[in-house]
Amino acid sequence: MIDYVEKIREAARRLLSEGKVDVFIGFRKGTVPMMSEPALISDVSQVDDLWWDSNCGINLANYITKRTDRVGIVAKGCDSRNIVTHIVENQIKKEQLHIVGVPCRGMIDRRRIGSSVEGEILEVTEDASLVTVKSSNGQKAYDRNEFLQDNCSICIHRNPVIYDELVADPVPEQENVDRYEDIRKIEAMDPASKHEFFTKLIEPCIRCYACRNACPQCYCPTCFVDESTPQWVGKSLDPTDTMTFHFLRAYHLAGRCTDCGACERACPVSIKVRTFTKKLEKDALELFGWETGMSIDNRPPLDVYRPDDPNDFIK
Amino acid sequence: MSEKIIAKEQFLQALKQLSNQQAVYAPVNEGEFYNYKKLEDGVEPDFTFQNTRLSPKGLIQPQSERMFEYSLDPGDSEANVVKEIKRDYGPQAIVGIRPCDAKAIQLVKINFDTPEFRDPFWLKRYEASTLVGLACNDPCASCFCSTTGSGPFNEEGLDALMTDLGDSFLIKSLTEKGEAFLKTVGAGAKDAQAEDKRKKEELKGKAEEAIRSEVPTAKLREQDLNALFDAPFWEDVAFSCINCGTCTYLCPTCWCFDIQDEVNNLKGLRIRNWDACMFPLFTLHGSGHNPRDHKVQRVRQRFMHKLKYYVDKYNNGVACVGCGRCVQYCPVNIDIRKVFRYMNDYEAR
Amino acid sequence: MSDWEPKIVTFLCNWCSYGGADLAGVSRLQYPPNIRVIRVPCTGRMSPKFILAAFRHGADGVWVSGCHPGDCHYIAGNYYARRKFALLNNMIEYIGIEPGRLHFSWVSSAEATKFQEVVTKVTESVKALGPAQHYIKTEAKVA
Repeated sequence: MIDYVEKIREAARRLLSEGKVDVFIGFRKGTVPMMSEPALISDVSQVDDLWWDSNCGINLANYITKRTDRVGIVAKGCDSRNIVTHIVENQIKKEQLHIVGVPCRGMIDRRRIGSSVEGEILEVTEDASLVTVKSSNGQKAYDRNEFLQDNCSICIHRNPVIYDELVADPVPEQENVDRYEDIRKIEAMDPASKHEFFTKLIEPCIRCYACRNACPQCYCPTCFVDESTPQWVGKSLDPTDTMTFHFLRAYHLAGRCTDCGACERACPVSIKVRTFTKKLEKDALELFGWETGMSIDNRPPLDVYRPDDPNDFIK
Repeated sequence: MSEKIIAKEQFLQALKQLSNQQAVYAPVNEGEFYNYKKLEDGVEPDFTFQNTRLSPKGLIQPQSERMFEYSLDPGDSEANVVKEIKRDYGPQAIVGIRPCDAKAIQLVKINFDTPEFRDPFWLKRYEASTLVGLACNDPCASCFCSTTGSGPFNEEGLDALMTDLGDSFLIKSLTEKGEAFLKTVGAGAKDAQAEDKRKKEELKGKAEEAIRSEVPTAKLREQDLNALFDAPFWEDVAFSCINCGTCTYLCPTCWCFDIQDEVNNLKGLRIRNWDACMFPLFTLHGSGHNPRDHKVQRVRQRFMHKLKYYVDKYNNGVACVGCGRCVQYCPVNIDIRKVFRYMNDYEAR
Repeated sequence: MSDWEPKIVTFLCNWCSYGGADLAGVSRLQYPPNIRVIRVPCTGRMSPKFILAAFRHGADGVWVSGCHPGDCHYIAGNYYARRKFALLNNMIEYIGIEPGRLHFSWVSSAEATKFQEVVTKVTESVKALGPAQHYIKTEAKVA
């Protein structure tokens, strides 16, 4: 997706010089391998700072909530669905946005590449199909499709659903994707095994809240974690508190999460936090036929009801 | 003080024996990254790491630490008495700590050991610790310790320094504690020969050359504090920040904490937890006013603290040891090395 | 262990289920005494935080009861609640709390006998599972 860079720069140049937007939000190239930095530019002279590659996994929709200016923003498929959700949730108006849509071929998982490479990674370059890694032990090229982020490998909405312009032709969507294989495996466990599984999953958690803060949908002025009257969850590393945090955070994302993977990407101790949110995504789909962020005309699933909603579990 | 050479196999065995008598912490491979763990059955050290994900500061200042407790249960003979938590402050050896992390502990000590107040919890653990460092033969590409006042073979803050010579460790004791450690594990060790010391010097030279990442610090002290505070680059630096605690929690020199009481029916507990100035609630006053309620204020504060306020107050260099963890793991790639440059090179109009 | 009695935290909506419980009491219907009732204005007021808080405090079971769909005093509160409950029910089971600890029901203010039946069923179900084991916070388990 390195070929998108010029198109993105051209769009930013045009939008800023024509005064169509006050600011443009995109990415800068990272200062370490396989990273990128979200950047806001307000002047045409900064346009050449903009960059795009397979390391732009952070969700830029995180930066537009409650903005009052006119914003140009780069959005891949998942990001665009978060923008739709922001519009529906009154965090920003459609009229304020000029969305430069990016048909995405998936982001690379820097941790999986790190685990596959001996020695320290010094530089990573890419082209349409390969990721070339230069390490202290030599150089090797990998098929990028083997090293996509977990959420990207099961993505079924690579193309933006809302945009003002696209930087390229839409890419073919993946078909016959089983999005919930891993969730079903957990559902099939007995309660004791489930408890053990989750205890182990969150054991490394250091409560840095990178997952929550990287998520575009977590924008509450006061997060439940910071509520003190009453205090729903303690601030220490107590395992029950940590579990409560992840559980309630995922629950607050029910019907709002687009599985963009920013949370997993942000976690400094590599916890697969999507194990929680994907269960709610599965239930929202199976119970209410809901897919997040597909249209600004759809009310969120917990904002509506039907007389024939699932009722069997209620006595 | 002595310098001994010990075969790796022997050293590992001696370490295992020592771990049966007292707490020994060493880097342990946890799959994707390393962390310091207490050595015991099934937990083996692995010294082929570059650095751990979390710094060893948690061994002296645990992320969550109980301070004292009380009970209001009328059936409890010690009800209504505030009791300090009984714990074992027995000796602990932290083996394999990198020179940057060891220097960081000294920087943190300045806060916990002052003429006005000596933090009993921090100091008890610190005094119980023997810090046996492992010099970096192979620094990371993002390490910039040399320009922050440390270095791959730096000895500051260590009780002993080990050098990996291939199939043996050269261990140099630097303090009495280090000498005692050397005596305990060095039963089969021989005195280091001139050849061994020469090899160490060679590795030291190579390592120091390998550190290519540098940060400018010379002009930080003379910069006008208010001019830096009002500098225009903060908006740009802070834009991408998501105000999580990753940089703060991974940083070996960050030490801020929050104290909370947790009450459960008739029992209460006071706990000290790591806190991060990146969190919006960090400066929330009881009145409801928050002087740093905007993200840019918090981001600016963290860098000003480390690279300016600390420099001015202590005249002891910067409060950063160049370990590179924040550079590698910030989810949005905010690079402190860039901020060093902005701050050091800033010229007010 | 055989004389252990479960503690079941029960959220009853003010208009229907609480009224139904009252009627059961006034009618001298016998039912197990294990429930600890918390009155809420409507099941629409329920938050997952409440249910988690109950489990965290060691509740062996949690039961939420409200008006029948269509009969909510606030028109649609229980409709919204129904969707939230469906998701929460699945999620609680997903993280390893045994099915049979969390219950939901619709009991109207006239259904004293239904209240008696449901409370008996819920108590039996929780009693069969034994004391709650997981996700209980007593004292912070930290250094």
